Amino acid sequence: MSFVRNARLLAKRGARLSLNRSYSDDMKLTFAAANKTFFDAAVVRQIDVPSFSGSFGILAKHVPTLAVLKPGVVQVTENDGKVTKYFVSSGSVTVNEDSSVQVLAEEAHNIEDIDVSEARQLLSKYQSEMSSAASDKAKAEAAIAVEVAEALVKAAE
Amino acid sequence: MTNAWRAAGLTYIQYSNIAARVLRDALRADLRAEAAKRNETHVKFTPWVNGRPAPRQAESA
Repeated sequence: MSFVRNARLLAKRGARLSLNRSYSDDMKLTFAAANKTFFDAAVVRQIDVPSFSGSFGILAKHVPTLAVLKPGVVQVTENDGKVTKYFVSSGSVTVNEDSSVQVLAEEAHNIEDIDVSEARQLLSKYQSEMSSAASDKAKAEAAIAVEVAEALVKAAE
Repeated sequence: MTNAWRAAGLTYIQYSNIAARVLRDALRADLRAEAAKRNETHVKFTPWVNGRPAPRQAESA
């Protein structure tokens, strides 16, 4: 008797759980960098991220994913349609089964905070550094800086 | 094409450090000074012996 009741209670709870889960069409974004937290579990519509496995967009119910960020623009579309662009240096992006997303960057700034002329100067500075680099390591380091500067110029223009 | 920096012996942490520094250098002048403070990382090591921070000479002992 009590077993039947317990089983029924459990079944009811199970049904409610799966119902709740199907409701979570919301994507919760946490976007933070060492310098600032931009979103803290905020519900947003879409996130576009640049990664080493290519740039991709994330909507609710995206397949769980782990990716390494590439220097470039993270674009966040909020539920009211407001679009904001940020430049991230590097970091990681995690998409979880419950549609929560973490974008963690070493350094991230609103795209409006980038000085285009400064970025152009950095680009030519590192380009010449790259061509005059003595060792493979110095050359690789300069090449990274060139890649970032190119992305910065492209993003801020 | 795949990651010349990795072939040269660099790690993603080093890549990330360089990328972050370039981004900080490209900020608007009014934000740059504050951001430049993050270019430096300070780590302080304190050796512990028997549950207490040990003086420096204990290290060689």
